[in-house]
Amino acid sequence: MATRCKLPLLFPKSLFKNQRFVHTEAAVTPPAYPPVVASLTAKSKSARLRQIDEQVQKICAAPVEEKLSLITRIQRKKFVVYPQTFARNADRWYQHFTKTAYIPGLPEKFSLGTGEGNSPSPADQTEIPGIDGDAFAEIRALVTRVILQQHWHMHKKRRPGVYNHQQQVMAPFLKNLVTELAYTVAKHNPLLLSSSLDFGPQVNFYWRRGQRIIPKGHRKGRLEPVRFQIDDSPNSQIRVTQQLPQFCPMEASYTADVPVVLHAPNLMPLFRRQYDNNIFTGAKLPDPACYGHTQFHLVPDRYHRDRMVKLQCPEQVEIFLRSNAIASLFCWTGAQAAYQGFWSYEDVCRPFVSQAVITDGHFFSFFCYQLNTVALSVETDANNPRKNLLWGSQSQRLFQTVQDGEVVGLNDGVIKLLVQFLMNRP
Amino acid sequence: MTMKNIFFPIYQLGNPQLRIFRPNWFLTLVRPGKEQPPDTVQFRVPMEMTKYDVKNYLEKIYNVPVGVVRTRIQFGSNKKRNHLNQKVKKPDYKVAYVQLAQGQTFTFPDLFPDKTQAPTEGSMEEMQNKFMEDEKQRQKLDPRRGGVTEWFGL
Repeated sequence: MATRCKLPLLFPKSLFKNQRFVHTEAAVTPPAYPPVVASLTAKSKSARLRQIDEQVQKICAAPVEEKLSLITRIQRKKFVVYPQTFARNADRWYQHFTKTAYIPGLPEKFSLGTGEGNSPSPADQTEIPGIDGDAFAEIRALVTRVILQQHWHMHKKRRPGVYNHQQQVMAPFLKNLVTELAYTVAKHNPLLLSSSLDFGPQVNFYWRRGQRIIPKGHRKGRLEPVRFQIDDSPNSQIRVTQQLPQFCPMEASYTADVPVVLHAPNLMPLFRRQYDNNIFTGAKLPDPACYGHTQFHLVPDRYHRDRMVKLQCPEQVEIFLRSNAIASLFCWTGAQAAYQGFWSYEDVCRPFVSQAVITDGHFFSFFCYQLNTVALSVETDANNPRKNLLWGSQSQRLFQTVQDGEVVGLNDGVIKLLVQFLMNRP
Repeated sequence: MTMKNIFFPIYQLGNPQLRIFRPNWFLTLVRPGKEQPPDTVQFRVPMEMTKYDVKNYLEKIYNVPVGVVRTRIQFGSNKKRNHLNQKVKKPDYKVAYVQLAQGQTFTFPDLFPDKTQAPTEGSMEEMQNKFMEDEKQRQKLDPRRGGVTEWFGL
């Protein structure tokens, strides 16, 4: 009966309307109005945030060349970080700027042979995969020849003056050593056959880390990111077509310890300048050899260990080498990552690995760097557990002296490490 | 050589090493205006001193292991004018930032700490303080009146 059904007087049509869509899929109706977002041109904080967001989206969507030019477009005052610096305790500051943790000793891949004495023991030689005893003896003879060429046979009419010794004598020695070793090891390492050996290349990187309150001027009181630029020029470097394998997984760097320095960078002392922001690995973008293998750096006369001892700061020698490695390798790996399209808001998905050898002609130090993160600006570093890693060795002598046309005290461990570094391949 | 009335002779190759005994220079350790790293100490030094003079001074006289010294000259303003509208110059001074060697650190001590010591028992100060407190208590109104004055009422 009508009264028993308890239906309202006016029969509602919506009763059937609701039943129409019960058994169908939830139809996606397009929104009738555009989404409500903050304004783009208003003088407000949300408008500024939206502008930044739009710029970030624009950069992410652009191809790599345009990405680089958009990131380095605007010139502002920035701190110029010199890898070879006179500042004391520079390695702690550089570790903070680049979020790098230092691990003493090289990774397990490179066994540190002590190599005492002239005669190589058979056990050492067989440890390098791919190089047997004869090849090692050949390399050893080659190194002896290079040392003798520079220190015994070479007679220059003009003796090098004060602060010229490293540039006149050791730079050509290192160049010859690198060339000969690279060409010899290329027989055993096919990666080096398609590699590129550069001499005196320019390696630049530009990044932002931290922020500061502007103390004076028409923008006083506002927050500004702190910008850095490295312009480095190693003695020589090897660039390859394939990425080197990682030394340890990215997750292992979560527990690494990075020193945090709360003071402003200009107290280091570090100076600000404004000029072109460059990101460069040593070759332009279309070059196929876009990944880095090994860099070779020469310690100039100003930071030579004898001079440091004379100035009564012998502990600064190792600190100088470490800071040089941190800055140079971070610059190179960061530029490699930038060439692949990774930047602050798009963090690297695989680690970038490079190696470096820093020497003053007699003492050799070996460093391995793994770039796990390039997201160092304030917004992207807030929840970033990844850290970059640097492994470093103590400096060891390659040879004692050259007497009567003979090299005395040639260290096989150093030659072994050099060969292992050059043999590194995926 | 004493410091009196001598001007530094220009060094030429072959000259003996210039030595100064009993220097007439005095350094002032100051609190840094801006926060400095823990190994940096800030001094005000006489204008005639150089970085090497500061380093030798601290090392030889005070046995302080000095790493590196950086100096700058602070210009004292000449803008203020006195009651005769003459410009009054504040003197210039040289500031030296000394970084200590051998991992040593230095923090400038707190020279004027707050003194909150209670007066000793049975002394005059304590009795006077107590008397003053009692007087103040007597002047206050009855708290049950809730701040209302005694002008009205009985």
